[in-house]
Amino acid sequence: MNLRTTDLPVAPDVRGRTPLVATGFAVAAMIMYFAGVFGVYLKERAQVRSEGLPWIPNKATIELTQPGMVIWTLLISIVVMQWAVYSIKRDDRQHALLGIGTTLVMGAMVVVQTTWHLSQTNLIADEGPTTAATLIFTIVGSYLVAVIIGMVILLLTGFRTMAGQYGSKQTDGVVAASLYWYSLVFVYFIIWIAVYIAK
Amino acid sequence: MTENTPLTENNTEDMETRPLELGGLAGTFGTADHKNLGRLYILFGLTGGFLSLVLHLLVRLERINIGETSILDFGSSNQYFQTWSLSRTSLLFFCVIPLILGLATYLVPLQIGAPSIAFPRAAAAAFWAWLVGILIHVVTVFSDGGLGVPEPLTQFAQGMDPEATELSILSIAMVAVAVLLASITLIATIVTQRPQGMTLFELPLFSWSVLVATGVWVLAMPVWLGNLMISWVDFRGADALRYGNVENIWGQLSWLWSQPMIFAFAIPVLGIAGEIIPVAASKAQSQYTIQQIGIGALGVLSFGAFAQPFFNADVSDQAVFVGMGLLVVLPVLTFLGGLADTLVKGKPKFSAHLVLALISMIGLLVGTTLSALHVSGPAIGAIREINSDWLSGLINWLTDLQGTVIATAVMEHALISSLIASIAGLYYWSPKIFGKKMNNNIGVLAGLSLLGGLLLSAGSNLINGFLDEGDAVYLATSNSEVWNQDAVEFLNVIGFIGSILLIGGIALALLDLAVSIFLGKGSNDDVNNPWDGHTLEWATESPPPTGNFDEPPVVNSERPLLEVGGGSE
Repeated sequence: MNLRTTDLPVAPDVRGRTPLVATGFAVAAMIMYFAGVFGVYLKERAQVRSEGLPWIPNKATIELTQPGMVIWTLLISIVVMQWAVYSIKRDDRQHALLGIGTTLVMGAMVVVQTTWHLSQTNLIADEGPTTAATLIFTIVGSYLVAVIIGMVILLLTGFRTMAGQYGSKQTDGVVAASLYWYSLVFVYFIIWIAVYIAK
Repeated sequence: MTENTPLTENNTEDMETRPLELGGLAGTFGTADHKNLGRLYILFGLTGGFLSLVLHLLVRLERINIGETSILDFGSSNQYFQTWSLSRTSLLFFCVIPLILGLATYLVPLQIGAPSIAFPRAAAAAFWAWLVGILIHVVTVFSDGGLGVPEPLTQFAQGMDPEATELSILSIAMVAVAVLLASITLIATIVTQRPQGMTLFELPLFSWSVLVATGVWVLAMPVWLGNLMISWVDFRGADALRYGNVENIWGQLSWLWSQPMIFAFAIPVLGIAGEIIPVAASKAQSQYTIQQIGIGALGVLSFGAFAQPFFNADVSDQAVFVGMGLLVVLPVLTFLGGLADTLVKGKPKFSAHLVLALISMIGLLVGTTLSALHVSGPAIGAIREINSDWLSGLINWLTDLQGTVIATAVMEHALISSLIASIAGLYYWSPKIFGKKMNNNIGVLAGLSLLGGLLLSAGSNLINGFLDEGDAVYLATSNSEVWNQDAVEFLNVIGFIGSILLIGGIALALLDLAVSIFLGKGSNDDVNNPWDGHTLEWATESPPPTGNFDEPPVVNSERPLLEVGGGSE
């Protein structure tokens, strides 16, 4: 028997929040990625230390100034990004754009500071490659890629906000971008503790 | 949404004979239509399946010795290893995953009454990234690259190219990212695009299995991607220490092909069988929620990101691993019981898709049972103190099975069952996907060939495992210390015949697809709902128009067409 969906009662509305759900799962995937890499990092560090060897090479220097600046930058960016969400919910596109743009600049600062910091650590130059260096470069390098992806998302969200796609009735895109950004701050917090503070 | 002409007596014939339109080369390359993407995944997945089974055959050939010499000498253990690892990589990433993604990309929006997939351009990007990534990977492995080597320090002297190896790692990482992206689009579609009234408990079983499977992939595959990236960073350095050392790369990645993770790629087997069998039996599936719980339980029990022997050598003796290995058989058994009940109470009509679906379910049941056997040694030892000599001997014997080719038998059962289920889905949904039915007799023949191949190939590995043949990760001559050399040799010949049957089965399906669909020989009688299906994909034209449906429906049942009298019971 041939049937059409017109034989069934018509639905009044479709569920929304598609960007938010997709971003939620993308964030879950990113967190699992870092959880896996951190799992290897902590396991290997414990193994090296149990043999009485130093985890970070003796001549390497991991200063805390730049990571401290980065964590503060990221914490402030949470407030700024939430300001963008607050503004878009009130149809205040100008301030929403300002919030998104400022967060974007903060992301660029994170990339510049972290890259420069990595170049100063001396993790490889004097003692040659170590497992610690490999894992720190993997973790921090992956994080930089994640930040750059976040900046691209912010850029696209900014353009769409400018074009009028988002407003008080359609906030999903900006909220999804903020969700991704907050998860970046969370991941850096773990890096800050596990890699830089605890070393 | 495109407005469609209502179905009337006068235009039904025109609609049913409408040719398959991919929209030419530009339409194919530029498409973001989930239906075209689904078809492309399926076509490349079947082709990739053929390639991977040919590699599987070559590996089996190498294991057959005449006197002291192997029938097929790869020239070096490196080349053998590259063929061996590529046969596994391609079976998973070039066959099973694209076939599942192809069916899911095509059918999930239709099953849930959605006009399109969520993020269609992301879905298209995922497809092309997957295709480019897997092709680069295959080419680099054949260009002296690959995911590591079996022997230390001789790799480049034996002809391995470091740049090709690096590209092999990066290309398979690209494939993993593409699979993640495709999975997220499917999850977002299922979670947010369902019509009003369709709760998760009313999802068709195939869509539910896709949700569970992609959910597990999204949580586990990033961990595997992390392993790949650690290897790459170390490999890229001036002097790889541990993770990027080529003899260690495969060891870090192999958990994806081992239990419990391997069963995550077999979850849709339950979904496909759960769609086909009740329709073939003309009977609504009873205990629907229990069937859904069974699929969910298989998802939970197949999450294997923690089971990485490279970083945790004792994992196979740990309670969680052993428990998951033992319990994984239960959801499959429960699900099969529910299907058997439906078959017995219904009036089953013999068809290729029914035969193939039953074969895939039985294959998966045997695979999960082998998984339980594989972990039973540590399980018995953990439960009680053993005072009996013979029982201790039994436990040691069962524990020793863990290093044998039984692991390969488990993998073959999981992946080949998934391949067979995908072909079952192709026969069942071909009227919907291509607008023509595939040949029933050829389908049955393909199913029997695949069943024979699975029994002989995985069965020979199972018995060889009992005879102590090692899982040939590193050396082609791993059967030098087996219990009975002649028996192992004989069983490897049987396994080789099994590989030929597997290739024959997929070749028949490919041939049937080419003849029935592309040469237009398939029947196009009543392609809109030829099997009296129960779910929403059968409530639109075949193939569906742009926008899929005339109106988004309200659905309050897991079998909406039965509710309005479209399906049969």
